[in-house]
Amino acid sequence: MPGRRCDSPLKNPSRAYIALGLEGSANKLGAGVIKHDVDGSTEVLSNVRHTYITPPGEGFLPRDTARHHREWALTVIKDAVVKANITMHDLDCICYTKGPGMGAPLQSVALVARTLSLLYEKPLVGVNHCVGHIEMGRQVTGARNPVVLYVSGGNTQVIAYSRQCYRIFGETLDIAVGNCLDRFARVINLSNDPSPGYSIEQEAKKGKRLVPLPYTTKGMDVSLSGILTSIEAYTSDRRYRAQGEPCEESEDIIRPADLCFSLQETVFSMLVEITERAMAHIGSKEVLIVGGVGCNERLQEMMGIMAQERGGLVFATDERFCIDNGIMIAQAGLLSYRMGFQTPLAKSTCTQRFRTDEVHVAWRP
Amino acid sequence: MLSSLSSKPPTQQLLQSADLVSQGAEAAIYKAYLRQFPTSGHGVDDAAFEASEPVLLKHRFHKHYRHPSLDASLTRQRIAGEARALMRCMRSGVTVPGIRMVDVNEGVLGIEWIDGKSVRQLLPGGAELDEINELEEVDEIHENGAADPIGDYGVSGGRTVHMLIGLYSSSVDALMNMIGVEIAKMHLADIIHGDLTTSNMMLRKQTSDLVLIDFGLAYHSTLVEDKAVDLYVLERAFASTHPDSEPLFSEVLNAYEKRMGKRWLPIKKRLDDVRLRGRKRSMVG
Amino acid sequence: METYYYSQFNHAVVHVALFDDVTNAAAIRSRIVQAARNLGVDGNTEREAVNFAFIDARLISSSLHLQTAIYQALLSEAQGQLRTKTVHSEILWTMNPTNNITEAIRRYGVSDESTTLVVVRVDVSDTPDLQRRMCDIVQGCMVPFQALGQMTDWSIIKKHYKLYSESALKEVQGNLDRERSIIDNIVVSSVAMKNVMT
Repeated sequence: MPGRRCDSPLKNPSRAYIALGLEGSANKLGAGVIKHDVDGSTEVLSNVRHTYITPPGEGFLPRDTARHHREWALTVIKDAVVKANITMHDLDCICYTKGPGMGAPLQSVALVARTLSLLYEKPLVGVNHCVGHIEMGRQVTGARNPVVLYVSGGNTQVIAYSRQCYRIFGETLDIAVGNCLDRFARVINLSNDPSPGYSIEQEAKKGKRLVPLPYTTKGMDVSLSGILTSIEAYTSDRRYRAQGEPCEESEDIIRPADLCFSLQETVFSMLVEITERAMAHIGSKEVLIVGGVGCNERLQEMMGIMAQERGGLVFATDERFCIDNGIMIAQAGLLSYRMGFQTPLAKSTCTQRFRTDEVHVAWRP
Repeated sequence: MLSSLSSKPPTQQLLQSADLVSQGAEAAIYKAYLRQFPTSGHGVDDAAFEASEPVLLKHRFHKHYRHPSLDASLTRQRIAGEARALMRCMRSGVTVPGIRMVDVNEGVLGIEWIDGKSVRQLLPGGAELDEINELEEVDEIHENGAADPIGDYGVSGGRTVHMLIGLYSSSVDALMNMIGVEIAKMHLADIIHGDLTTSNMMLRKQTSDLVLIDFGLAYHSTLVEDKAVDLYVLERAFASTHPDSEPLFSEVLNAYEKRMGKRWLPIKKRLDDVRLRGRKRSMVG
Repeated sequence: METYYYSQFNHAVVHVALFDDVTNAAAIRSRIVQAARNLGVDGNTEREAVNFAFIDARLISSSLHLQTAIYQALLSEAQGQLRTKTVHSEILWTMNPTNNITEAIRRYGVSDESTTLVVVRVDVSDTPDLQRRMCDIVQGCMVPFQALGQMTDWSIIKKHYKLYSESALKEVQGNLDRERSIIDNIVVSSVAMKNVMT
């Protein structure tokens, strides 16, 4: 049968559409306004974020994070609307993160979304956080049908699109990669500002010594909890020097920088490997990295080498879009809204568990 | 030219002279000959036979994105792991290719060359055969006098061309039975294949053995979950590669069940669970 | 005598011969021991005279078994990773399932009681009078390699490779040919993967 090119089910709109997106599934509160124009173009009108930062050595707890989101919601949303140079009445819909994520922060943002929806009589669109990342990544980079590596504090997935579904080819069997990095950053007391992952990345640049760690890929899945246990154990090794002052090459010591370096090299190798396996499996040459860990330049570099060897390309975004934000929720939400999807008020709940492959991707052929 | 060639490590030279069979994401597969025999002269009595015995080389090439020392140690581990899984299978009576050469420095595993066809090629939907329309297929059958691609391999006796359908299905059943038995033997030895597909099993031409191949993702496990997932992966592979293959796979499971005996029940229960949830567990965001 | 060529090992040539009815095994063994002790110029000539691998043919399950051991020994030599002194002793070491060199030579090398021997010579080029030199050392009858099948002592092989309770063998009980081919496959594979066995 001759292969017929399917037309996109998403037609150019007859008028410009504008959506507000609200995100708060973890410690970032984001609001963004997006515009889909009649010529099919997409424009980011504003993208505002406020991050709940905890002192070094401390993680963020759901209750405190939810309080942060409540306290900042109005400021952030107002800022987004002003920067977009619109009023609330110009919106076509209000998009919010339905899940997955932490319960309390999700609920606090959903509550704001519901209130705004009632106040301004705007329809609600509940959005899957992961799909938000993917759609924004595709929009920003122009990648057409990439294998997606989604790496963040709560998720680690290798995803590929097939028949109106983002199928998960591989994922973590225990903790997420961002979680693994963040927790280790806390163990060695690195700063949470701007993010623990960023601190690890900077520290790793000074590392030289590669310490042996478990390498646990299983088909297209990875397991990371054993690596975390193992790298933590090095901090009580007698060769470990917490101060990490520069040393002679020959000296048999392990510095925090060496551990950050080893952790990144090992974990990122595993991620690149399962991504490549998925690419080989479906015969794709493009890879898109999304999620907070996706801004890590070493990960992008390694993925680039792999893609290049396969004669392909890697697409990545910078921190504006990689790290959780409101605009990605607006983007994914507006796409499904244009396909006729809305979330009735009575069903505008959130859920901590919401798999990427549960979403009907109606807007793609 | 010749001197620069001979300065290369032996296994690299061997790869250079070998025929590339396929190129995967992590390894390249070659067909090669480990030694050469004199074309004439002394003591070549059984040389003609030996010379014609090729090996399959699996070359795990460098991954440049990986730190070199991590890459080297991983390659070493994986080659060792694959060889050990094969050895464990061999000792447990699972039909797998024998090992012929190992060079961990160069990342090469040499195994017995299996002359035959993959199960994928033998079943409908797996080969290019399905692109030929049915009329042509029947013509071809009359010409060759052999209706049954599997029967050719001695899995069932070939009778008459007129019994096309019945004959065909009986040899398919025999094949499915063999698959179930081999997987059961492997699981009884607590080996999980990790990548069971109809491409990773072959019917050997001379002896009609069913040979399980490609243990690159194999590991040791006693867990019911791992065995159930192994079966589920194969079930999915059947479904996605061979249309209307439910009766085929249930034949595989029947044979597996018989062989596993009382160990079957917990695996069956878990397999039902896995079917419901898919290969993946449900995760918190 | 058989000859194998290996273009990948700098065109190495390996000669192997099978001897039956060997009568001077004890003498061969003591010549090897003497040659190893004698360090002078005499020693050099004597060492060259016995510069072969002498293997008890009863322990060889097939010519593939022998060829596999030779291959792995050549590989170790080329990579500068010999565990023993020479490529010839390495062949014996490769055949033994454990890492103990003395045990390998005691088990697989020529013993005073040996009556069947496989003689192996690894060379960089073809040496024309090699067959004569082999026959100078070994008093016995050079026979074609097909005769190996009758010499193999399967019970010792099973003992060394601890092949008693294996389910692979239980399954083919009573079928001697099948059993032997399974043992051979295990033995050949073990030799090939010896470096990564543990």
